[in-house]
This record gives sequence, structure tokens and C-alpha cells, in this order.
Amino acid sequence: MPTAVTLRGLRKSFGNLETISGIDLEIAEGTFVSVIGPSGCGKSTLLRVVAGLETASSGDALVYGEPAIAARRRKQVAIVPQHPGLLPWRTVRANARLLLDINTKANGSTTTDPIELLERVGLTAFLDAHPHELSGGMQQRVALVRALALGAPLLAMDEPLAALDEITRSEMRVMLNQLVEGRGVTTIFVTHSISEAVALSDRVLVTSPRPARIVADIAIGLGRPRPDDVDDDPQFFELCSRVRHALQEGAR
Amino acid sequence: MNRTRLLAPIAGLVVFFSAWEALVRAFDIRPFVLAKPSRIVRYLAQFPDDYLRASLTTMRHATLGFAVAIVVALMVGAVMAASSFLEQATQPVLTLIAVTPFAAYIGSVKIGLGAFSEKPVIFIVALVSLPAFTFAAADGMRGADPSSRELLASVDASAWEVMWHLRLPSALPSLFTAAKYNTGLALVVAYLAERGTGGLGEIGARAFANNEGDRLWAAILSMAILGTISLVLLNLLQRAVMGWHASQRTQRS
Repeated sequence: MPTAVTLRGLRKSFGNLETISGIDLEIAEGTFVSVIGPSGCGKSTLLRVVAGLETASSGDALVYGEPAIAARRRKQVAIVPQHPGLLPWRTVRANARLLLDINTKANGSTTTDPIELLERVGLTAFLDAHPHELSGGMQQRVALVRALALGAPLLAMDEPLAALDEITRSEMRVMLNQLVEGRGVTTIFVTHSISEAVALSDRVLVTSPRPARIVADIAIGLGRPRPDDVDDDPQFFELCSRVRHALQEGAR
Repeated sequence: MNRTRLLAPIAGLVVFFSAWEALVRAFDIRPFVLAKPSRIVRYLAQFPDDYLRASLTTMRHATLGFAVAIVVALMVGAVMAASSFLEQATQPVLTLIAVTPFAAYIGSVKIGLGAFSEKPVIFIVALVSLPAFTFAAADGMRGADPSSRELLASVDASAWEVMWHLRLPSALPSLFTAAKYNTGLALVVAYLAERGTGGLGEIGARAFANNEGDRLWAAILSMAILGTISLVLLNLLQRAVMGWHASQRTQRS
């Protein structure tokens, strides 16, 4: 399987503050990789470097063989931020196609009709609604559609479910699996939730406290397509336990 | 609109004009100092075409000045929002414009740009409206949501795309606030600068010079009506353009 993301000796500092310390990593195309670690450890910075929003202080961050910043400029990376960041003056329909309306010459042949995606996430009745008329979960679904519509081969998600209540998170998790599976998209997903990481991922990367380095790389062999009730699987509990222990080990 | 929302302002105006009428009658005030509302209305009814034409002229002067000010303010505001150095360089100039009494230089501007031309009127209206519009534009554009800015940066949006899709809509609330403040100011400036160019200002200036109280107060009342209509139109425009904003959705109980 081709490599989607390559990190070689990646370091990142802000002034004297080192946030990422020497990360080497390869992510295969089409895999879903979660990054989990203590609060403030630098995992969001890691995601931002991979997404081409930050430059590395040293080392390389490559997306499909080209520097991450160049890949971002060619719309090869779609970002889902922690807060949906919907523009309040645009309708759901217009928000969903926002990234397609910008830098149009970089739109590839793999873009997806946002209306079709909005239908898949159950927002057909809200196409002409404005963000203030939507719940938090619905807003996050629009943010997800906005990113997927780009048709980018790499999806970078920064704790997109963190602000949602438990029931909505669970629904979103199932929806996210259904949307991403089978599209061949490589996903990097930053989260604080162990169960979320295990339920969604093919690999879970556990990071140390700042400066972030990878202390464990756990393969999640729960199969694809992932069943909606994966969190009832005994193997799921076992994997959650492994990730939790890795986090505790890494914090020492 | 419910009945209370319609009746409340009407009731307020009836009380105001009744008190005004009673005050003038009770103290037998000369019409030049303060004419009775009933007398002003009678005078306006005698010359409706003159006042309508003059009102439209004043409205045109104020609107054109407003439009010029907004265009310049958006350009200067965008520069100020993008560079703190340029913002610091621009701020004292705008402050000078804002605090210098425009009435003191109206004559000089009129001589410079043509005493009987509309140009100086429009220029002064634009100049006086400029600081509030520019500060509003710069503040609004700078206040655009940082996460949305980053989202647009993630697809390599151009400066123009960021302006059009994010900064400009973000500046709308503060621009409308500035427009409401500037409406009265623009009309006052137009009125004072209109001598020799037509408009309510010319009628007022001539009436003042000739000691014609009824004519003067008819011009003043027309200005008040013009200002009210302008603000109503501005509110309707704001509701149409900014229906998504919390200020347009919140109703006081």
C-alpha cells in the first residue's frame, strides 16, 4: 500500500518551547490513524504540521511524497477543526461548499457534490438553514461534509467531536466511520478519547507529554467495515485498556 | 409587526409634538425662534413640491457622500486590518479628521471645489463620515473568526477571497452601527454645506438670512423627516442583509 504521510526527524519549537521532539512515522494510504496524548502535549501541533498549516523547525513532513505545505496548497489536505467554524451568514448548503468556492483552480477531479453528502448525513431538510438554527452535532456534520466535499486524499481532524455530548458523539462516530470507509481517504484524527480512538482507527499513536514523541503505535484489528456496535466487542475493551496503559507509561 | 410596536412610537411622537405646540402657545414664542408644529405643517402644505425636491437633493448629497466614504473606508480599513504599522500611521489622520470642526472649513472647501457645485458638499459629507466607517471596517475585519481564517488558509485562499468570503461579512455589524451614527451627521453636514447648490440647506440658509421663521422651520422639520426615513431604510436594509446576526434575531420581551 502506498505511503500517504511520511514524517522524518520531525521537530517543532515555538521559541524556546519544544512541542514535537523527533518523530519518524509512515502512514499507509487509506488508513485511519488516531493520535492520542495528554492535554497540551503537542498533538494538535503535529496535526497542523502534517496538514501544512505549520512549518517544521527541522525534519520533513511529506504528504504523498511532496512537502505538506505544497500538498495543502493543492487542496490535497482537508481539515476538520475542533469547532465547526461555519460562517454564520452562509446557509448550510453554502457552508458545505465553502472550500470548493475558494481557490477553485486547485479543485481536483475527486470533489464530491456537497448536497449528496449533506443528504447522507441527514441534513436534507436543513439545506437553507443558517448555522444558528442547527445543533452542535449538526454543525459538526456540516463541517465534516465541507471537508469531504473537497475529495482530498488526506483528512486531518482536530478533536472534531470534543465539544459534543456523549449521545451525539456516539452517533457522529458511527456516521464518521460510514462516511470515511471505502473512500480510500487517509485520516489523521487527534482526540482525547480512548474509546473514540479505538472505535474509529486502524492504528492508534500514543504520544508523550510535551514535547510530543510517539511512545506507542497500537494496531487496531477490529476489521472493516467496522460494526456500529463495535464498543460491545470484548476485543474493543482489551484495546482500550492497552491504549490507556500506553498513555500511563508514556506519562512517566 | 405587532400593534404595540407600531403604536408606541406614534404615541411618543404625538406627545412630543403636542408638548411642543403647547409650549409655543403658552409662552407666545416668535415663529423664528420656534414655530408651532401646526404652523410648520400648514406652511409645508403650501409648498410641497419645493420641499420634496429640496429633500431629494439633500438625500442625494448625503447618499453620494456616504457611498464615497464607505468605499474609501473599506479600502483603508482593509489596509489597517492587515498591518499594525499602517494602522498606527492612519489612526492619527482619521482622528484629526474626526475632531476638526467641519463647519470651520466648509467655506474653504466650497471655494476650492466650486461654490455652486455639488462636489464640495459630497466631498465634505464623505470626509466627515470617513473616520467612523474606517474604524468600523478595520475593527470588523480584524475581528473575523481566527479559526475561519485558518480554514480559508488551509485551501490557500487569496487575500481577495479572504476579504470577500470572511472579512467583509464579519465587518457588516460594525459598519451598520457606524452607518446609523453617520446618518444624522451626513445630513447635518449636507445641510450646512448646501448653500448655493440647492437642497434643504439652501432653503434653510436663505430663510435664516431673510428672517423667515415658517420657511426655516419647514426646512428643519423636513430634515428631521429625512433623517427618520434614512434610519428606517437603514434598519430595513440591515434586517435584509444581516438576518443571520444575533442582533437581528433577538426580540426584547
